[in-house]
Amino acid sequence: MKTEDVDVLIIGAGASGAAFAWSMADTRMRILCLEQGDWMNPSDYPSTRRDWEVRMEREFSANPNIRRRPEDYPINDGGSPISPLNFNGVGGSTILYAAHFPRPHPSDFRVRSLDGVAEDWPLDYAALEPYYALNDRQMGVAGLSGDPAYPPHEPPLPPVPLGLAGETMARGFNALGWHWWPSDIAIATRDYEGRAACVNLGPCKSGCAQGAKSSTDITYWPVARRAGVQLRTRCRVREILVDDKDMATGVVYYDEHGVEQVQRAEVVVLACNGVGTPRLLLNSKSARFPDGLANRSGLVGKNLMLHPWGVVRGAFDAPLDSQLGPMSCCILSQQFYETDRSRGFVRGYNMQVIRGFGPVATARMGVARGDIPWGEGHHEAFARRFGRSITIGICCEDLPEECNSVTLDPKLTDSNGIPAPKITYRLSENSERMLAHGLARGAEVMKAAGAWDVYGEGPVRQTGWHLLGTARMGEDPERSVVNGWGRSHDVKNLFIIDGSVFVTSAGVNPTPTIQAVALYVADAMKQRLANLFD
Amino acid sequence: MSKEANASLAPESALTAVQLASLDAVLNLIVPASADGRMPGAAEVGVPAYLCAEAADALPVLREELDELDRRSNARFARGFAALEQDERKTMVEALRAQAPAFMNRLAMETLACYYQHERVLEGLGLEARPPYPTGYQVVQGDLSLLAPVRAHGKIYRDVP
Repeated sequence: MKTEDVDVLIIGAGASGAAFAWSMADTRMRILCLEQGDWMNPSDYPSTRRDWEVRMEREFSANPNIRRRPEDYPINDGGSPISPLNFNGVGGSTILYAAHFPRPHPSDFRVRSLDGVAEDWPLDYAALEPYYALNDRQMGVAGLSGDPAYPPHEPPLPPVPLGLAGETMARGFNALGWHWWPSDIAIATRDYEGRAACVNLGPCKSGCAQGAKSSTDITYWPVARRAGVQLRTRCRVREILVDDKDMATGVVYYDEHGVEQVQRAEVVVLACNGVGTPRLLLNSKSARFPDGLANRSGLVGKNLMLHPWGVVRGAFDAPLDSQLGPMSCCILSQQFYETDRSRGFVRGYNMQVIRGFGPVATARMGVARGDIPWGEGHHEAFARRFGRSITIGICCEDLPEECNSVTLDPKLTDSNGIPAPKITYRLSENSERMLAHGLARGAEVMKAAGAWDVYGEGPVRQTGWHLLGTARMGEDPERSVVNGWGRSHDVKNLFIIDGSVFVTSAGVNPTPTIQAVALYVADAMKQRLANLFD
Repeated sequence: MSKEANASLAPESALTAVQLASLDAVLNLIVPASADGRMPGAAEVGVPAYLCAEAADALPVLREELDELDRRSNARFARGFAALEQDERKTMVEALRAQAPAFMNRLAMETLACYYQHERVLEGLGLEARPPYPTGYQVVQGDLSLLAPVRAHGKIYRDVP
């Protein structure tokens, strides 16, 4: 079957693809997005059932190797202490993300100039600021203005409740004289743009049945589709086609029936994030690009950054109802975010206060660690922790290293026979020191807040939410894959708009920056339509 | 095997009466009923049916280990495991826990999953036995005046050239 040619073909309907599609819709060009997953039905989300805790670990696991839906591709993560996480569907990983939405600092874009490591970005915080603000409005972001860790900005919605857990940790941070602030969070805390307000279901990371969490299937996509953007689901792209002038001509994909199709396009835009995008480029080999498309720099798949993640857990005497509220979103601390070389490492980390867990997770974690025994004393030990526990996540900035990479697995494939990605990753010495520092400071603030039992661990394997850096941007074609506005150095009508273009990772959840970059690239393209390929 | 296929597999079909009796005894060693009667024992919340539906892949090894437990019990005490006194059961299960830690850990984790989502258990904890959606929960808004010292400290981000 011949498909109708389009002007702009977007691959991936997640955080970046949705924002980009929405922005480009006003050009009235023929825009099509191919997504390998399907639309989600919120009534299927785990929070609609009493067994939500078990379901979120299985068919709604963020790990595709556990979830194993038909639309997922396997990832060989045996060479990494951190497993990459994702979701395939309209909305992409925003379906399962926590919606913790902090921006980076201005210094995050100037790490070479300020700290002498890695590379500066070809753009800066000031250039992206209007796009952060636009994205906050389109997604619906809750927060509190005035945070002294950031240049001024105004979240459009009021913050999520601190709860007793947030208040408890706030007092701990205050006792030490450390920074804390209610996190920016992509959750509608009041009715917003046709979406109902958050009612504190809790397990945001398994999909929001209420529709209060800002996943792009319910934010950008409805508007983009009304504006004429086509979205074709259950379509898995195998490779990008290129002509003898080094111009992309379209893609080969498998449709929902598994039938091979060719889609022609004037412009191809990659929005598959830091593992999916290099995988597709490396799978798009041709005579002119024997090492993978747009890979004359040799950097496609290199410099993978995953944000090594530690957790510090504390148990308190007082009942805190800590199992209630948006599970992973409350307050943050950026006391140790900016570089201070006296700490023994450069760059820094964000401390993300996570609330407690449901009864199943509380019991399982407690029994696994030996805090909650079998048999005698079980109920008493459980009662001392359930609703009385708080976790702090330590999100460490990961610096780029070429040895950390996404390559193609020589044997593993998805259900269409397309080679699967293989992850090779290890923590640098800088990351190890940073993580150890974060775990120690996390324990310190837990004790200051009054915890009677504290323990920490990291890196935690099932925390590879942030997939960054594998097709980075820059002005030098020898040292980067795309230019400062997302265009491939090697293929002038190929753009990348997802987390792969990150030059450095900052120390915060990347989705606001991924989307701000996507909106920035869209505007850059619209301003250059007459000479886009020059 | 798919979950749908397993759903029709009743515990009485998957396990013998002796195996079921032994399993019940093991489950109550993992989570016993509370002394005040508020919390049920794990043998009272339908774990065998849960295992058939959610952990069918573990059934073959479950059968083997339950049979082995009974065999050793008969060899040592001349009675099947389910007929032992509680202290004797505990001794046997602790030995099994040392010999087959992966199996016992899996059984414990599946048991806890079943137990802590059961209506009687949630009510025993003082929680509403319902899904989070659609009602949700009330959460204390919190005291934002706690931010006063943070505001007073002032800017902590670096300026860039």
